[in-house]
Amino acid sequence: MKTLSLKNLRKTYFDPYAGSQVTAVQDVSLDVEQGEFVSVVGPSGCGKTTILNMIAGFIPYTGGEILIDGNLVKGPGPDRGVVFQSFALFPWKTVLENVGFGPKMRGVPKDERDRTAREYLALAGLSHAADRYPNELSGGMQQRVGVVRALANNPAVLLMDEPFASVDAQTRMTLQEELTRIWQERKPTVIFITHDVAEAVFLANRVVVLSKGRVLDQIKVDLPRPRVWDQLIEDETFKRLSAQVLQMVRAA
Amino acid sequence: MLVAPGQKVRSRVAWRGMNSLVGAALFVTPLLMLVGIWAIVVPLFNVNPRIFPSVGSVAEAAVAAIGDGSLIRHIGASMLRVGLGTLLGVLVAVPLGIAMGVSPAVSAFLTPLFRFFSVLAGIAWIPIATLWFGYGFGAIIFVIFNAVFFVVAYNTLLGVSTIPMTIRNAAASLGAGRWALLTEVLLPGALPNIVTGVRTGLGFAWRGLIAAEMIATNVGLGYMLFVARDFYRTEVIVLGMIVIGVLWLFIDRLLLVPLERATIERWGLVRRT
Repeated sequence: MKTLSLKNLRKTYFDPYAGSQVTAVQDVSLDVEQGEFVSVVGPSGCGKTTILNMIAGFIPYTGGEILIDGNLVKGPGPDRGVVFQSFALFPWKTVLENVGFGPKMRGVPKDERDRTAREYLALAGLSHAADRYPNELSGGMQQRVGVVRALANNPAVLLMDEPFASVDAQTRMTLQEELTRIWQERKPTVIFITHDVAEAVFLANRVVVLSKGRVLDQIKVDLPRPRVWDQLIEDETFKRLSAQVLQMVRAA
Repeated sequence: MLVAPGQKVRSRVAWRGMNSLVGAALFVTPLLMLVGIWAIVVPLFNVNPRIFPSVGSVAEAAVAAIGDGSLIRHIGASMLRVGLGTLLGVLVAVPLGIAMGVSPAVSAFLTPLFRFFSVLAGIAWIPIATLWFGYGFGAIIFVIFNAVFFVVAYNTLLGVSTIPMTIRNAAASLGAGRWALLTEVLLPGALPNIVTGVRTGLGFAWRGLIAAEMIATNVGLGYMLFVARDFYRTEVIVLGMIVIGVLWLFIDRLLLVPLERATIERWGLVRRT
């Protein structure tokens, strides 16, 4: 079953500095099945973040269609959970309140949404931090909160915009492994935007390579799960797939 | 050095208690020194009490004013006015500031106006306020409202426009509607600026209040000062000045600073100074 469907998606906007129309996304069509993990890679300026923002409903698209479970996207909504590069946690809410925010917006009573939030915090190994404020946490912990906050709202699609780009390399590897574990447990449908080829291959079932606002190619990733860096780093298939994607991105 | 966890916490709490005690002492010391110099200088140069009173006569004036209940009456009247005017100002300014801050175009358009009126806030409005409202309660409330309103509205507007777009987007993608965006994101996000605005506005309001009370009423601290002048009662004037200053310090230290601590500092929105 198709959860997300992009049909001839197009985005042009007027650039006041250049004084002309700029095409950020030419023509992108893409279908994502329920429970699939799709990484989108491409060089900067290929339109990957623009596509994510359009799916999220943060910016309007100028052509084509975005469908979530068959419904046309017209603006932001709780059926699409977003994980931001800058975390975007609410500084004035505790970790528990951040994670319970989505359920609260749905009108879930307090004790029930607290229970849900605690369950998701446990999933991310954050039970001890429930009553802390985001500024009291490390970057890695903040983004764990960002991920489970989006998940706790049970979205049809989880949209992740270079979520691990602003944490240090060691933490990033841990977060990537945790994300694959959480994905295996919960099987959310994920669109993961990144410019890091190894990350894209490590996480996904399928890697979509973008170039100049078009889909250049797509590669299936049939690596076994759970995925762990210590094993994959030596794995021939992983190396071959990564090299293949890297060549595409560099040629893009 | 190894310290047991419980011990560490206890000593930290004790340290914080010591710290605030030391802080209070450091704060009061220069003020006490000023009183000391005053106590020495007035008898030393045999200053005419019509020019400046001695410490003793001010203390006597204080005892008398507390004894006959007049001081409490003046303080009560002044506090009521400043409280009511501030409350009205904040209640109108915050929603308006948020509404304006939501739209960048509206906020850019109104910013010069609000900066202009922020400068005028308070005393400059007293003459026209007495023309509009007559001498009395209405004119004074208007002056205080004015002092608070423009500063708070401007700071609220500023606060809302500095909330990162990603945080608003995050709320929207978690299902927040317009009302939830307002109460869960814009209001708390703008709170650091709102508190700054209230602090500044209350400062203007306090000065405006004293000035307005000198001409527009028959009770209140400003009135107390002004009447004492007619009778060359410098000890009452100085007593009034001390009360005005001390009351403001109490309002600021006991009301506004703890409010900041409990909210925006805990959230990491401003650094402790």
